[in-house]
Amino acid sequence: MGQEFIKPPVEVRYREELEALRNTDTGKRPENWQMSPRAVRTFILGSPRPIVWGGKEITVEKKYFGNDALVERCIVTLAGNRGLMLVGEPGTAKTMLSEFLSAAISGVSTNTIQGTAGTTEDMIKYSWNYALLLAKGPGRDALVPSPLYVGMEKGILTRFEEITRTPAEIQDSLISVLSDKVLNVPELGDEGFLFARPGFNVIGTANTRDKGVNEMSSALKRRFNFETVMPVREASMEKRIIINEVNKLAKESHIAAEADEDVAEILASTYHELREGVSSYGHRIDKPSSVMSTAEAVSVYYQAMITGYYYGDGTLSMDSLVQNLVGAVSKENKDDLEKVKGYFNTVIKDKSSKEGGLWKEYYEARKWLR
Amino acid sequence: MERILRSEEMAEIILLPVRHHSPACAMHVSRMIESLRPGVILVEGPENAGSLIPVMVHEETKAPFAIYYSYHDAEGLISEEKEHYKCYYPFLDYSPELAAFRTGERLGIRTAFIDLPYGDILAASQAGKGLLKKDEEKNNYNDDYLLSRNAYLKQLCENTGMRSFDEFWEKYFELNGIARESGKWFEDLLTYCRLARENTPEEEMEADGCLAREAFMAGQIRRYAAGEKNSNAPVLAVTGGFHTPGLKALLEAGENAGEGTEKSAEPQKKKGQNGQKKGMVPGKDQGVYLMPYSMEAADALNGYASGMPFPGFYQKIWERLQEQDFGEAAPYEEAVLDMIVAAGKETRRREGYLSTYDEICACAMARGLALLRGKREPGAYELLDAVLSSFVKGEYTIATDAPMRILRKAMTGRTVGALCRQADVPPIIHDFTDQCKRFGMKTGSTLESEVTLSIFSNQKHRQTSMFFNRMLFLKTAFARKIKGPNLQLKKDRNLMREIWKYKWNVQVNSALIEVSVYGATIEEAAAGLVREELKKELGARESAQLLTQVFEMGLREQLEAVYARVHELMLLDTDFYSLADALKSLMMMEELGDLYGTKMEFGELIHIGCRKLVLLLPGMAKIKDEDLGRGMNVLKLLYQVTGRGEGAFAQEREDYCRTLEAMTGDPEIHAGVNGCIHGILYGGGRESAEAVEVVCRGYLTGTERQLACTAQFFRGLFFTARDLVFIGEQFIGMLDAFYGRVSEEEFMELLPELRMAFTYFTPRETDRIAGMAAGLHGKGRGDILDRTEILPEWYSYGKELDGYVRGRMDSGENARG
Repeated sequence: MGQEFIKPPVEVRYREELEALRNTDTGKRPENWQMSPRAVRTFILGSPRPIVWGGKEITVEKKYFGNDALVERCIVTLAGNRGLMLVGEPGTAKTMLSEFLSAAISGVSTNTIQGTAGTTEDMIKYSWNYALLLAKGPGRDALVPSPLYVGMEKGILTRFEEITRTPAEIQDSLISVLSDKVLNVPELGDEGFLFARPGFNVIGTANTRDKGVNEMSSALKRRFNFETVMPVREASMEKRIIINEVNKLAKESHIAAEADEDVAEILASTYHELREGVSSYGHRIDKPSSVMSTAEAVSVYYQAMITGYYYGDGTLSMDSLVQNLVGAVSKENKDDLEKVKGYFNTVIKDKSSKEGGLWKEYYEARKWLR
Repeated sequence: MERILRSEEMAEIILLPVRHHSPACAMHVSRMIESLRPGVILVEGPENAGSLIPVMVHEETKAPFAIYYSYHDAEGLISEEKEHYKCYYPFLDYSPELAAFRTGERLGIRTAFIDLPYGDILAASQAGKGLLKKDEEKNNYNDDYLLSRNAYLKQLCENTGMRSFDEFWEKYFELNGIARESGKWFEDLLTYCRLARENTPEEEMEADGCLAREAFMAGQIRRYAAGEKNSNAPVLAVTGGFHTPGLKALLEAGENAGEGTEKSAEPQKKKGQNGQKKGMVPGKDQGVYLMPYSMEAADALNGYASGMPFPGFYQKIWERLQEQDFGEAAPYEEAVLDMIVAAGKETRRREGYLSTYDEICACAMARGLALLRGKREPGAYELLDAVLSSFVKGEYTIATDAPMRILRKAMTGRTVGALCRQADVPPIIHDFTDQCKRFGMKTGSTLESEVTLSIFSNQKHRQTSMFFNRMLFLKTAFARKIKGPNLQLKKDRNLMREIWKYKWNVQVNSALIEVSVYGATIEEAAAGLVREELKKELGARESAQLLTQVFEMGLREQLEAVYARVHELMLLDTDFYSLADALKSLMMMEELGDLYGTKMEFGELIHIGCRKLVLLLPGMAKIKDEDLGRGMNVLKLLYQVTGRGEGAFAQEREDYCRTLEAMTGDPEIHAGVNGCIHGILYGGGRESAEAVEVVCRGYLTGTERQLACTAQFFRGLFFTARDLVFIGEQFIGMLDAFYGRVSEEEFMELLPELRMAFTYFTPRETDRIAGMAAGLHGKGRGDILDRTEILPEWYSYGKELDGYVRGRMDSGENARG
């Protein structure tokens, strides 16, 4: 059934791994957790030894690259009394990490509040099915629970995406829930207290680029442990992520193509160098102001790949790679394109003359930068 | 541990591997000594420091302290440059070596150092390797890099999911290690060391002088073991774990071959030309002293790369290990809790936020992480993670990382060691005490005192100033100048007095010991350091600045050498501004020479500087906007220099003016420079006011870009020849026309430049110009001064209005939202 969606949720995509881990887990589990903290760590950071379960050898892949200690801190935070807030630049896999955590810990990653400027308090707490409300009066049947309500009721994790996009006063409705672990529904009278079951917690994600849109109140900040997710610092790791993610996307869309190592390397080094402001040869580079995230690089690669798959000869051409790159960088600021042009005319030029091959093709495709 | 069994010639030898600075290791070493009761304890460390052991174990001596080794290669045995060398061997309370000495002292066991003397180690190392490493500012004798940097270890850390060797070590040898039985613990360590050694290429060990040292140590151990052959007690050798397998091999091989003590070094010697025995390097050129050390200096994170990081944290662990009856106790958990509370308190004090609940969460986090990572107790890394996750609110940036900085500082610790009174000090300290007495300075108290020195009228005051300046140059943090002429920045040269503040503390002595390698007195050391400085890559600017320092320090013998170097560098340097700065320093020193009582002729150097600057001048025509100020200053300086000494610089003056004239012909010349040059040429009588006016009009009537440059032109011109404005009315008229031509927007853009242009006028002159400008428009001087006053009430009304409108707009927005 997983193949019928564009992007199946984590618990569907990794069902086998999760099942194997759950059933072979011998560690102590916090109440209502599907597996022990150590097994959660293994699910996210992978294990060198395959697990034998159901007569099969199942290899748990490393799914999150970057900072292992951060993942460990996240797991311990979720077992404690405070929420977890992942902050960082766009495209640093905050959402992905929060999905992994909730799929492993609670078995579902879909219990999610999607924060927008239009999020209201009843989307966070509860609302009513008015037909039932009018017919029967206030009761549990007429109440439409929010993901937060569900999380408390079942003792599972609630994810709150893009929390800083929602107005500050709406964010603040979380404060008492997080500290008292109780939600009051006055309409239900004496039965209107929903006490959170063990296992409940909140994972929030927030973009640092959006800071100032709706700054979190310090009262709310106090109820979270913050983890700052940094962009990947090594070009080689970025390359690995691009290949992994593109292949995953291709598989999900039934495209019979695989990511090419060399192309991924070119793209990873482009993104890496533009982000860091210095090339591997030591050129100083003007940094574009738009976000040069790994996630963007993945989508540029994937776009170029499907262009080649559907319209071209099935292979990825450097021309379409550069065309997609243009689309990705010239979103906010016109100067950014000039900066990328400058980058091609210095760094890529030198690389094409020294390395030749694909780099040369890449350099020649600079004509699309306009 | 390794045992070499008792034989007829020798007592039993036990080799104990250690890692420098490790609480668990120090504890196990003490316990081993207590249970083995050896006849003699041998410790890795240069043998010539043997006389310091009684001071090290003295009850008044407090760690951290360091053995300071210095060596002056007077005979050129190490390299032809005959350099000075120094290194440190720091000891903390939890250094296993110190623990061995202290336990030995307590139990009345003889102790000794057994390594090659420092100079010989240097002679045995290849250039740039081991203790001859140049890139590190401070060389440490007990560097653990052989244990902590190799390919095997990298793989090991990756497989065990550890961030670094230090975390790996903490988990397996500290946290889990304190509960282990001592013998087992040493076996584990030895296994690790063997693997590390197997993964280190032999050439590297050779280059580091490691093999030569091991050969010598093996010889020493054998000598002591032979001396103890009639006793039942074993000989215990405590050495860095990396050496233990090597020593065992040497000792066993030597036993079979039946070789003598010193001969064991022979096989090594053949391998490389550098393998040496003790005694190759003369003892008289080597110094060895104890000095107080600080936790900051001992922290590996400060870049000295020796031992474990976070000495303050591990000191706490060590203290707990001493107090507690081991077994059930949880020293780490308590130390982590202490640190969390201390960091929390400090954060609260400084940043204002942070509650006890945050501290509770941090403790829970540290414990949770320890469980997750399979550690017995939370350690340093869990502590760091816990504070990061529970104390830092919001994104982790430089604005929010205060708790982490506070914690790191606490983990480093602030303790400074102290030495007992019997400790020997190098002659430079005696010299320092003598000088202080001579100048009547108090060194007993650590309170800051102030002195005022009339350096030009009182000979003794000048000498005091020289002493202070030398201490300053030696970076001893003893004295600082509060007021007085600053020759380096060329400021306050009119001042006749200097005011100094000085303060003595233990660190002054440490700093003096550090520089004692350069000489036995303050003067010698300062002179030695000057010579070191001269060897560095310098430009004309830096060398001239050094000359000013030598000048202030009154190091007459050095002046010649520095003078020669400045000469050489002025010929080599092609940086315009660097040369100009050097020239300025030289001129200043020439002027001040009489006052400071040095008879040095700078004339020749000034000539050279002048000529070179004139040569480089054409390149200045296309100067960048931000360099304009500096460039104009140099042009003016050259004009002043070439006008000095009644025609002594006539030739230079002529060249200078010609170059300037040629520059004005450059079509791309910077408008500011152009203005400046025309001002100079006008001042020098080589150009008439009319000619300047023509150029100015050229900008004024030029295309849009050129018009905008007029402001810069005026700036340059007024800088060198502001009197032009007051000759006739042409210039005022031109300024007026200029204002008339630019739009308001352009005017706002040019305003900063124009403001700069008018700063060169005195208030009275500005007033006069204003009057003349008013005259052009048919008004008097008084008219433009007459402005309407703006009452404070108007301001407050406007503010209120603003607030009202904003409020209305906000509420409107909310209503809509």
